[in-house]
Amino acid sequence: MNLATYARRNLFRRRGRTILTIMAVTLAVVIFCAIRTFIVAWNSGADEAAADRIATRHKVSITMQLPKHYIEELREIPGIKAATWANWFGAKDPKERLPFFAGLAVDHNSWFDVEDEMSVPPDQLAAWKETANGAILGDQLAKALEVQVGSRLVITSDIYPGDWEFKVVGIYTPRRKTVDRNTLVFRWDYLNNDSRAVYSKEHLGWMVSRITDSAQSADISRRIDAKFDSRDDQTLTMSERAFALSFLGGFAAVLTAFNWVSLVILLIMTLILANTLAMSVRERTHEYGVLRAIGFPPGHILGFILGESLLIALVGGVIGVGLVALVINHALGPAMEANMSGVFQHFFTPGWVLVVALGAAAVLGLVAGAVPAILASRLKITDALRRLG
Amino acid sequence: MVPFQYNARSLWVRKVTTLATAFGIALVVFVFAGALMLGDVSRVLAAAGRADTVIILRKGSDAELTSAIANDYLGLFRGPPQVSQAGGVIGEIVVVVIAEHADGSGSSNVLVRGTPPEGIAFRPEIKIISGRAPKPGTNEVIVGKAISGRFKGLSAGQSIDLRRNRPLQVVGEFTAGGASYESEVWGDLDYVRNALGREAVVSSARVRLNSSADFDAYRQIIETDKRYSMKVMRESDYYEKQSQQTAAFLKTLGLVVAILFSLAAMIGAAITMNGAVAHRSREIGTLRALGFSRRAILASFLIEAIVLAVVGGIIGSALVLVLSVLVSFPVINFQTFSEIVISFHATPAVFVKSLVFSGVMGLIGGLVPAIRAARVSPIEAMRA
Repeated sequence: MNLATYARRNLFRRRGRTILTIMAVTLAVVIFCAIRTFIVAWNSGADEAAADRIATRHKVSITMQLPKHYIEELREIPGIKAATWANWFGAKDPKERLPFFAGLAVDHNSWFDVEDEMSVPPDQLAAWKETANGAILGDQLAKALEVQVGSRLVITSDIYPGDWEFKVVGIYTPRRKTVDRNTLVFRWDYLNNDSRAVYSKEHLGWMVSRITDSAQSADISRRIDAKFDSRDDQTLTMSERAFALSFLGGFAAVLTAFNWVSLVILLIMTLILANTLAMSVRERTHEYGVLRAIGFPPGHILGFILGESLLIALVGGVIGVGLVALVINHALGPAMEANMSGVFQHFFTPGWVLVVALGAAAVLGLVAGAVPAILASRLKITDALRRLG
Repeated sequence: MVPFQYNARSLWVRKVTTLATAFGIALVVFVFAGALMLGDVSRVLAAAGRADTVIILRKGSDAELTSAIANDYLGLFRGPPQVSQAGGVIGEIVVVVIAEHADGSGSSNVLVRGTPPEGIAFRPEIKIISGRAPKPGTNEVIVGKAISGRFKGLSAGQSIDLRRNRPLQVVGEFTAGGASYESEVWGDLDYVRNALGREAVVSSARVRLNSSADFDAYRQIIETDKRYSMKVMRESDYYEKQSQQTAAFLKTLGLVVAILFSLAAMIGAAITMNGAVAHRSREIGTLRALGFSRRAILASFLIEAIVLAVVGGIIGSALVLVLSVLVSFPVINFQTFSEIVISFHATPAVFVKSLVFSGVMGLIGGLVPAIRAARVSPIEAMRA
């Protein structure tokens, strides 16, 4: 019999307790990963926005628009390869088949050149340029609205009164996983020529530019804003990611709260683990006295207890991480992507979350074991022997 | 029945274990109560709504932000006999502007409301708590208490630009009985809409009726009039609908997390109670030998588990109390993309629910150990 055997046998002396503790650690790790995955997924659409694209909006408000001629002036700025624009349409499905989707009036000549992760067949693109009321939809949105190329589509708007009728001329498919597949785009000139859009006549919502060198995006952004700084409508240029997030500025607090909550579960796990260790150590105090009496140094006692704690935490952590990899990444994630793609285009636990979770479990295992281990190793032999299990 | 003192003293003897477990449960209760209070955003929004007040939006719009009504209509809305002559009709313009957080942590949208001179009197709950009311026709604004100081430029004496060279000058701070108005900036209707280039347009109209029973008749008149194409809602219904999405989202998210957490806490309680049963099998055997029935032992250990958990619940409630005093939480109104700041409001109902929740955790966590305790054979236990 050696030390390892002793430690191993100790671990399963109270089998029920050890198993429950491992379960608690597993659960904590799973919850931690799930919350992190949620946060990552929420940001992911924005996270992977192309680095060479910047967006320019009205400086004061997302509801205020910019004069149409700004786009021509923007295109003259050095460093800008291509630029396009869009207006928010506030699209709604009159039959309410889906609660929310993005509807944009865009420039049909440049939109898909700039937003090139949406792939549209060339013949459909050509048809769009011929059809004034033509619309192109994401593949998932087309499915939800039950339309194909050639269908008639009627939608309503939060902003513009009445019914709006479009002819579906194309369906775009994503080139990357994080692209929203629930967007509808139609021609800006169609909106602009309609009398119902009198308040936004010859105005655009925001501009998106593709720049020649993504390293220069900060410089180019400053150049754009400087150009329009003396006008009545000043601009604010930022990365496309920041632009996407600016709509949900107030949501940041919820994510921060979740960040904290994910730490709370780790704290709960530590408490449970520490309690288990404290109970085990209390029961074995007499034995530790015996071990010390036959010549084991205090460091060994410390090692036993810390080792036991670390082992429980690691076993629980490995099971938890394994479950997360299996369940979220192979079952739940794909299901979320399929059913809630409006919110989560990419629901996946990244590797670093798994590593952090396992690392946290290990570190907290040591932390939880520390107090009982130190107390036990410092105990006087005579005191320890006097204690009965 | 085994005397309750036995349980209380048993818990006290094992102070460290008891506290570690109770504190774990306290953290779960804390998260649970936080989720309950977040769901409260509907209270904040709904507080602004009155049943005898009607809000009119352009048909198809769900929120003031996306609605637009020509100014000329306001006079027509005043026509029907149901309209209170004292309260009357007000038209307001609503816009969101981006503002930087005072602490440098990014920016959020803030709702700016341009209101006519009678707009403040229209809502008797508005109280100016510092500074003064804005002078009509000027660029002066007042800031709601919930956002005052949260954003750069939105404290008394400061200003933010609504457009180039059209600043809003903050002259005071107001409260609105806890309603979401407290997360808004209020200025002059004409100044705001001129700065936005939206002369002769309002976002919404509010109409005070003689009584809330007049609503159906008034709505009938406005909605069937072909000239308008308007949507007429009770103000209270409008705010409830506004908050539905946000409230449901926050509450669901929070409760799912709390319930998952409670699984961990229940395992913690089970470990502790299991330890207690194993440790005290001799005592249990003695109790049985003294004549206490299996059922009494079961009840005794269940009670101990529940007490353990409720101690946690009480600690958790104390943490919640701290939270409700110290923290106010900004959430987003999905209809306007603007920030509403809600304070955690610890009502007695929240505490009752938290304590019940902790008790249930104790009951479930303690069930298996209590059954084990009840099964202890007195003879074997005393021989051991």
